[in-house]
Amino acid sequence: MIERDVVCPFCGCLCDDLELETEGGKIVKVQNGCSLAESTFMNDTRLPAPIRRTETGWEDISYNEAIKETAEILRDADRPLLYGWSSTHGEAQSIGVHIAELIGAVIDNTSTVCHGPSILAIQEVGHPGCTLGQVKNRADVIIYWGANPVEAHPRHMSRYTTYATGFFVPEARRERTVIVVDTRRTDTANIADEFVQIERGGDYAVFSALRAIVRGNASVIPRKVAGVSKEQLIRIAEICKKAKFGAIFFGLGLTMSRGKYKNIRNAIELTDELNRHTKFVISPLRGHGNVYGSNEVFTWMTGYPFAVDFARGIAFYNPGETTAVDILRRGECDAALIVASDPGANFPRAAAAHLAKIPTVVIDPHVNATTALSRIHIPCTAAGIDAAGTAYRMDGVPIRLKKVIDRGYPDDAEILKKIYDLLNGGMGP
Amino acid sequence: MKCILNTGRTVPQGASVEHKGSELYSTVASACFLNPVDMMMLGIENGDRVRVTTPAGHIVLTARPAEGVARGEIFVAIGPYANHIISSETHGTGMPDFKSQSVDVEPTEEPIKSVGELMEAIGGLRYDRT
Amino acid sequence: MTELWVKNACVIDPIRGINGDIMDIAIRDGRIVESVSDRAEVIDAERCLTLPGGIDSHTHVSGTKVNFGRYMSPEDMRAGRTKRKGKMHVTSGYYVPTTFGNSYRYSAMGYTTLLEGAMAPLEARHTHEEFTATPHQDMMANTLFDGNWAVMDAVREKDIRKTAAVVAWTLKAARGYGIKLTNPGGTEAWGWGEDLTGIHDTVPHFAVTPAEIITTMIRANELLKLPHSVHLHCNNLGKPGNYQTTLETFELVPDLNDARQTLYATHVQFHAYGGGTWKNICSKAEEITRLVNSKPQIVMDMGQIMFGRTMTMTADGPMEFNLHCLHNNKWSNHDVELETGSGIIPVTYSKKSTVNCIMWAIGLELALLTKNPWQCLLETDNPNGAPFVKYPEVIGLLMSKRYRDEECAALHAGTEQKTSLYALEREMDWHDIAVMTRAGQAKALGIVSQGKGHLGVGAEADIAIYPIRTDSVDPAREYRKVVEGFQKTRYTIKRGRVVSRDGEIIVDGANATFWVDAKVPEDIRMENDPEFIKRFEQFYTVRMSNYPVQDVYLPRGRCIETEAFT
Repeated sequence: MIERDVVCPFCGCLCDDLELETEGGKIVKVQNGCSLAESTFMNDTRLPAPIRRTETGWEDISYNEAIKETAEILRDADRPLLYGWSSTHGEAQSIGVHIAELIGAVIDNTSTVCHGPSILAIQEVGHPGCTLGQVKNRADVIIYWGANPVEAHPRHMSRYTTYATGFFVPEARRERTVIVVDTRRTDTANIADEFVQIERGGDYAVFSALRAIVRGNASVIPRKVAGVSKEQLIRIAEICKKAKFGAIFFGLGLTMSRGKYKNIRNAIELTDELNRHTKFVISPLRGHGNVYGSNEVFTWMTGYPFAVDFARGIAFYNPGETTAVDILRRGECDAALIVASDPGANFPRAAAAHLAKIPTVVIDPHVNATTALSRIHIPCTAAGIDAAGTAYRMDGVPIRLKKVIDRGYPDDAEILKKIYDLLNGGMGP
Repeated sequence: MKCILNTGRTVPQGASVEHKGSELYSTVASACFLNPVDMMMLGIENGDRVRVTTPAGHIVLTARPAEGVARGEIFVAIGPYANHIISSETHGTGMPDFKSQSVDVEPTEEPIKSVGELMEAIGGLRYDRT
Repeated sequence: MTELWVKNACVIDPIRGINGDIMDIAIRDGRIVESVSDRAEVIDAERCLTLPGGIDSHTHVSGTKVNFGRYMSPEDMRAGRTKRKGKMHVTSGYYVPTTFGNSYRYSAMGYTTLLEGAMAPLEARHTHEEFTATPHQDMMANTLFDGNWAVMDAVREKDIRKTAAVVAWTLKAARGYGIKLTNPGGTEAWGWGEDLTGIHDTVPHFAVTPAEIITTMIRANELLKLPHSVHLHCNNLGKPGNYQTTLETFELVPDLNDARQTLYATHVQFHAYGGGTWKNICSKAEEITRLVNSKPQIVMDMGQIMFGRTMTMTADGPMEFNLHCLHNNKWSNHDVELETGSGIIPVTYSKKSTVNCIMWAIGLELALLTKNPWQCLLETDNPNGAPFVKYPEVIGLLMSKRYRDEECAALHAGTEQKTSLYALEREMDWHDIAVMTRAGQAKALGIVSQGKGHLGVGAEADIAIYPIRTDSVDPAREYRKVVEGFQKTRYTIKRGRVVSRDGEIIVDGANATFWVDAKVPEDIRMENDPEFIKRFEQFYTVRMSNYPVQDVYLPRGRCIETEAFT
């Protein structure tokens, strides 16, 4: 059977034009997708049943037992941490927030180690952005800064930017100038019209230099800024000012390096400045398929996009304090529920190590590094493969993930709902 | 040799990210990309192993040459290998220094650990029945 | 079967011509009935003011833009927060509260139905998700068409039928309620960082003018027999001298509908400025209301501002950028491909600013100078002019000259010469307020026939009982009692259930979402139009099959079907 217009749940691009061939309840072919999509759909090995760690190894347990024990762990905890959420649908995220509210937990999502700093910057200066179709149809200048879409978002350039045929840019690549700014000469850099190689940690200075040039103060710029020549900076500024529509996409090269959110703040302020000359937009390249959805759901329910602490009864937010890495690093939480993510692999060791010291429950379709650190792992559906639900694309466009096959697993939303009900004395939210 | 550790996503890492127990993932996530000149300085060849040390710990990785990596830097895909040596300090932002960790790189004969071994080193127990 | 009997209610129900009669209201299974059995639960209203549930016909509470307002404003989230309590979830925020915050606070004020003022069709799913999390009000969404490429193409071809067909397809896909035009044509120009300066400017690349978009959409709207009229945010919002544009726009409006207005002009306060600069800006409320008083086909809402901090958010991207260049605070912008734009910035309206004082005065002037209260409805373009929790103060100001005088005394000295407010003696009565906060909205939105905005037999039992005794309170003198009274109902009844008591939510909500399916003849349906499909697949970034909002997003959807073109 051929299923058309399938949405790939892997990365923030949420490409919705895949064609999947299924045979006897299995996916046998993926068309239109990138290699990440292909492995997402084709190499989908699951944990078969809930497992519990014993003194010596692992034992299979029933779903009911696993759910009951999870509820007990959370009920007994003084400072539970609920973390992850970005690879599942909004329906599960929403129940997660209700659980956190009910038991006074800290709830955080993977943007905390991804674009959390971008959110902090946006909270300082705002975010001039747009949907990806605006870029596709209009942009004649595209900038990738501290981002490597060839590796992390393989179809970003062909669907939305560089190579996409747009209404006002029918010749696509030939009508677009592509600028790549990075410390490494990546494969993305190799296709750029202008590659700007900056010294590690130099992003902030280069943004400041560009802002000064755009404002007409080129005279104050030294011969080189963070390894970038003044000539190139002036050339870049001119390209930007002459653009009819310019778009900056930035990645973890800005959020994770020195300066962190201040880098992004400066990038946004450059964009703001450029809007006084032409049209310019800026957007983070969001990683997990529905990480933006976790920000959206958290925000309409609690007021904050991530790192929400309900310990005081109200929703409290203080990144650096209520963020997952910090809570773990300080050894503060005494139980953890990890949903649809893998902090065991993605958090610095000292933070991950705390998960093994406390009762940790994982709800995730796949065995991952966190499995080894957990007390219980409950397998569930994978949103977009065997479960339908809402995901938000990196530009905020909400898309419904499809259920393509049935593998007999329960939906994580259903598992979470049962946990909620047990915690709430059998009452729904 | 003193270097700065940079981490990031790669296609092979992304494609195997849901199979962290696999050998493929382990190979991908434990690759350490260096500038060829730095490799020469260290006296190592493609496929040799390096021991990378920080105040947070040390890890053994497989050296791979990459022209795009600047001298004095190493690049490792995001994942448990890089995270084994990255400090959990976030400077009040929630975000560790995933792209600016100072490290010391030296040749070694020690073997590469599996993801399971890394997790067991911090109190975990690997599950390998899938 | 659940029954409720509200006795001793002092009812004002303008749609049925009831003005302060003491009567009983019988409710069975969510609707108002002739009588109930003696097993019915009884509420003694103790002769308190009892009105149909409040209806907000223009507010921003759900969707991409509103949520981004929250996302970028932790400072506001801290400004209003409550703990989980009984049936109430945690809430955060003052001027852009979380969905539960919106829902509880509106409910405490007796509001039971809300129209979200702006929904981009591409992001409609988001709006509906938040509707579900706004459980105590029935919801409906104005759907943005101001920069819709297919609409502009049809307008250029002077093809009203095709324009209507595009609207019908899009409304159904987005599960939208009515046509919203925000700075028509201007939001497309903003895709290039430009704006339009008047209704006869040409939209770049599309060769149509705002005037053409507005007039064609008005006719398409009537061809589709939509319950609501075209809902217009005029061009040139917030610019000194813009009243000319507003008057020109109003002059274009024919009278095409017997049951309601032909044009709903929203937040007209922002469109009633004289002068040419921020220095010589003045009120043109008299000119605007003079025209509206002679044109029953126009209904407007106030767009009242109230002093203090709030957030402006609108699909009018270029306006927000201009405002940002004045304030230089944080600025967000979000243009939506092939459809519309949006912008968000925080503002503080200050009594020390002459401009802000004039704006404040204009909103009140518009209401006081419009002879027929059905033609000027009360709202603040929440949260643009002020958060909706300020409505009781606006009511107080409209009902009391003394309250206005006291406020005016604190205003910037330059205000009096620039407006006519100080001279206006009119004091609105309870009936006027009932019209301006529910009955007028129900009529303007075309939902009277859905049982909204009145308390007749068969109506939905949405009822607000305020702790106000109209026989003993003199609103002109005791305006503080009026303000307090409207802040918290004694009871808010939603579809026959008491949902809020003395400001506290006591049950889980179960709202409905109204949307419109206008059935156009088979031969011009857009889903059968190869050219439309081709352009869609080429230029949108989602597939056409993934665009329509699935039914699962409207767990209690209420579809209003119309037979278009008949």
